[in-house]
Amino acid sequence: MTLTSCLILAGAVMAIGIYGLVTRKQAVAMLLSVELMANAANMVFAAYGHFRGGPSAQVFVLFALAITVAEVAVGLALVMLLYRRHGDTTVDLASEARQ
Amino acid sequence: MSPSNLAIIATLAPAVAALLLLIVAPLRHKGAPAAWVTLLGSLVSLGSAIMLLVGRLGGAADVRVTTPWIQEAGHSMAEIGVLIDGVSVPMLIIVCLVALCVQLFSVAYMHDEPPRAYGRYFTLHAMFLFSMNIVVVSPNLLQLFAGWELVGLTSYLLIGFYFAKPSAAQAAVKAFWMTKLADMGFLFGLLVLFVATGSFEWTSTPSTQVATWVTALLFVAVIGKSAQFPLHIWLPDAMEGPTPVSALLHAATMVAAGVFLVVRADPLFAQAPATREVMLWVGTTTAVFAAGLALVQKDIKKVLAFSTASQLGYMVAALGAGQAFAGFFHLGTHAFFKALLFLAAGSVIHAVHSNSLEDMGGLRKKMPLTTAAFVIGALSLAGVPGFAGFFSKDLVLSSLEGKGNWIPWTLLMGSAFLTAFYMGRVVIKAFWGNESEKSSHAHESGIAMTGPLMVLAIPSLASGFLGGWLASQVKAEYHVHLGLTPIVASSMAILGIVAAIVVFGRGGKAPFTGVLEKLDTFSLVDRTWAGGYRIGLLGIASVAGWVDRYLIDGLMNFTGWATLEGGASARKLQTGMVRDYALMVVVGVVVLVLIGVLR
Repeated sequence: MTLTSCLILAGAVMAIGIYGLVTRKQAVAMLLSVELMANAANMVFAAYGHFRGGPSAQVFVLFALAITVAEVAVGLALVMLLYRRHGDTTVDLASEARQ
Repeated sequence: MSPSNLAIIATLAPAVAALLLLIVAPLRHKGAPAAWVTLLGSLVSLGSAIMLLVGRLGGAADVRVTTPWIQEAGHSMAEIGVLIDGVSVPMLIIVCLVALCVQLFSVAYMHDEPPRAYGRYFTLHAMFLFSMNIVVVSPNLLQLFAGWELVGLTSYLLIGFYFAKPSAAQAAVKAFWMTKLADMGFLFGLLVLFVATGSFEWTSTPSTQVATWVTALLFVAVIGKSAQFPLHIWLPDAMEGPTPVSALLHAATMVAAGVFLVVRADPLFAQAPATREVMLWVGTTTAVFAAGLALVQKDIKKVLAFSTASQLGYMVAALGAGQAFAGFFHLGTHAFFKALLFLAAGSVIHAVHSNSLEDMGGLRKKMPLTTAAFVIGALSLAGVPGFAGFFSKDLVLSSLEGKGNWIPWTLLMGSAFLTAFYMGRVVIKAFWGNESEKSSHAHESGIAMTGPLMVLAIPSLASGFLGGWLASQVKAEYHVHLGLTPIVASSMAILGIVAAIVVFGRGGKAPFTGVLEKLDTFSLVDRTWAGGYRIGLLGIASVAGWVDRYLIDGLMNFTGWATLEGGASARKLQTGMVRDYALMVVVGVVVLVLIGVLR
């Protein structure tokens, strides 16, 4: 396994995340896509840390994971509120801010 | 006390009175205290002026005390201070004496005004005396200009004293505009002088060309202030002000400021023969033209107003002939007898409650003191030998004798005849003849009004004999001689009076009355200015208005409109759809990456 193959994998995961984010209407699915994108970035960090040396990248990954967890918590809370308000989690319902 | 301090006190005493009245409003609003404060200020001024005069009689030398003004980089551009010499001291006496008489007269004359208006009136009088004294004592042209503008302001305020009356408000604005237009000349003259010589002194010696420009520009201001043709039109309208104001500002002192300026700046004018030539003709034209119009006025004050313009024309003509002393002498005697005439007219107006000559008549028996005062003033103005006006007018005319100035000399002689003629008309119409309904109820004014008349009658009779002393003060030559001019001038005066008695004594009309009345009512000069105003000034104003409205405002409006429209179209990006935002984020990232890769 080389750095290149790791980066290709990360790129693929990122692309899947973007595709999911743009095409899905369900808030949970979009949140999952965002998670994929975040983890793609983490994979790049980890890969560079592994192949180019230096522990700092690993530390960054750990920090990023922790923050992502927090972000998911907030995101899921928003999804819960959306569901309570509209009985559905389609994000197009949450367009009140436009008015 | 030193002369300079006396001069400063004479100048500042009315200023203190005015400031006190301006700041302590109750004094002003109660009326009578304002009169006392103003009178006190004027009295202090007159006292200081008399002490200065006593010093001069004792042989005191000229004093010039100045302090730097407008300092820049260690050297001052101008000076402010007092100049006490043979011109300023007599002028100070004239101004303070006439002002005090007029103010005393006003105490009774304006008595029926509401207290607030009464207080305002006297506050303005104190301001005026201060401003005029600034002009009189100024050691250079810049300070003179400051005083010049101040008297213009007080003149505007006093003409518009009855500002609730539209005609008075209009007259005030007209006077302000006409004199301000002319004052542009003063300002530009000062600028040219300063650029050329680096000072505002009238003793500076620029090249002939510069001197001609400077004096020509200064003379424009003189035309405006001293009501010379063709800017004289504001003076008859200025009669809308209270009569004592007309006596002080628009007859005796303020309008004479123009003549005073030329007397002061005589060294400059001496270097500009071309300007003097113009002055000679402008003065002569005014003297004749205004005397003709004075003949057909129905309002007693307007007769005197045109007469003032005419007499100022005499002074300007003398100055144009290079005889500054003759002009100055006539200024002095004219100040006394014209103030006397105006105050006597005020006394009459107070008695019959009308300005119109038609409403007067037969007042001789009802108002003997006023009649005597008016007749003394009229005889002096007409130039009957022995009266003050005779000596000064004779000197003015003598200064034109010979030297190839026979055309102005003849015209002014004719004007002297007209002067006697129109004054004869006023005296006969107002004081002799049949009583009208209004004049039958008239009665003599109280001592508060006749007192100042008597005081002013003395110099109107006698100030002519001071010519020799005045000449020695300003270092001019003065001889009383029995030549062609005095004989012709006095016969003109007597002829005019006789003609007036013959023509008007039987209730007749002067020849050419119809023509002159048409000229007066048609008022070509007024119309020309009004037309010039409409076409010139309003034309420029409408162009400027268009530029302002459509170009400058248009730019502002376009900016606002573009912002609103831009916002409206940018708002469409905000769909409120979360997926759209997500897509935009992605597109944004792609664009950023592409930029990063490509550069």
